[in-house]
Amino acid sequence: MLTAPTLAQIESIVHGRIRAVLAERAGEVARLSGTDKLSATLGLSSLDLAFLVAELEAELGVDPFAKLVSITSVRSVGDLVRAYQQALFPELQRSGEDDAMATAVNRAQTRRARRKGR
Amino acid sequence: MPQARKVALVSGGSRGLGAELVSGFLDRHYRVATLSRTKTTFITNTLRARKDRHFHWGAVDGRDHEALRAFVKEVGARLGRIDVLVNNVGIAMEGILPTMRTRDIVEAVEVNLTAALVLAQACSRFMLRQGSGCIVNISSVHAIRGHAGVAVYSATKAALDGLTRSLARELGPRQIRVNSVAPGYFDSDMVRDMAEEQKRRIARRTPLGRLARIDEVANAVHFLASEQASFITGQTLVVDGGITC
Repeated sequence: MLTAPTLAQIESIVHGRIRAVLAERAGEVARLSGTDKLSATLGLSSLDLAFLVAELEAELGVDPFAKLVSITSVRSVGDLVRAYQQALFPELQRSGEDDAMATAVNRAQTRRARRKGR
Repeated sequence: MPQARKVALVSGGSRGLGAELVSGFLDRHYRVATLSRTKTTFITNTLRARKDRHFHWGAVDGRDHEALRAFVKEVGARLGRIDVLVNNVGIAMEGILPTMRTRDIVEAVEVNLTAALVLAQACSRFMLRQGSGCIVNISSVHAIRGHAGVAVYSATKAALDGLTRSLARELGPRQIRVNSVAPGYFDSDMVRDMAEEQKRRIARRTPLGRLARIDEVANAVHFLASEQASFITGQTLVVDGGITC
């Protein structure tokens, strides 16, 4: 792609590639959901996933699994979409980390408050 | 429309078996890419003779993983596809293990094994998309029989054979074949440094009574890369004049 794709375009490209793989064996494929499990729901093998990663690297110019993300952490269509969105928009990764940190801090503060209240 | 020429990537193609393979693939009308640390006379002459887009060379150190990946990407972008990978780059690490320097052990593993893994990974991406491809790993008879003084070398070559078998299973469903060629003694750096008496001893122990010519080893690679070997995968073809039989 000559210009950077938007988040929605990344989702559409990833969905399109998944549908193409599924269509190879089952013909027309219904709409995908982010919660669809790549293996359990869609029946994709690890080799299918490797093929998808190769196709997406050629189309999007990035491979999130080279360094950023472990492929074993990708279970759903949404996980795969997010991996590419975060690879192309690193600030999403950082904001995700910030959110996780904020959640952890909140949880710790709540625990401390509960202990004081006892 | 004539079919586009196939593309072969040979690691360590600047001399010895690698150079023989490069020449052989060019003679078979492949477009060929090779990498080596330095530009040898063979590379210079081949580049001069092939002023077209059929030969590409890159200065890459086998220990530099990022450079290996970048080279594969460059070859893919330049030549459009990768049909054959020959993992030929390797160093002969001689000496018994108890007295070997750790950095020499690491270097042998990096060059003989890790470079092959990195190249196979990068090239398989292209092959997966093409739905076809062939990988040939250059192993050794030292992967099959134990010999004193080559423990580290043997370990790296036996690991390549393990890679061959498992990768053949991983990639087979996408019509990518993976095989090994295990040469016996032929005109290589390892043999060149041997004493004449040692060479004579090897020849005596070899059923065919001699060491291999380099083209006899290359021919086995060309066979496995060819359509004639279209149903062969996950195998190690031993080219040793019978010394391990």
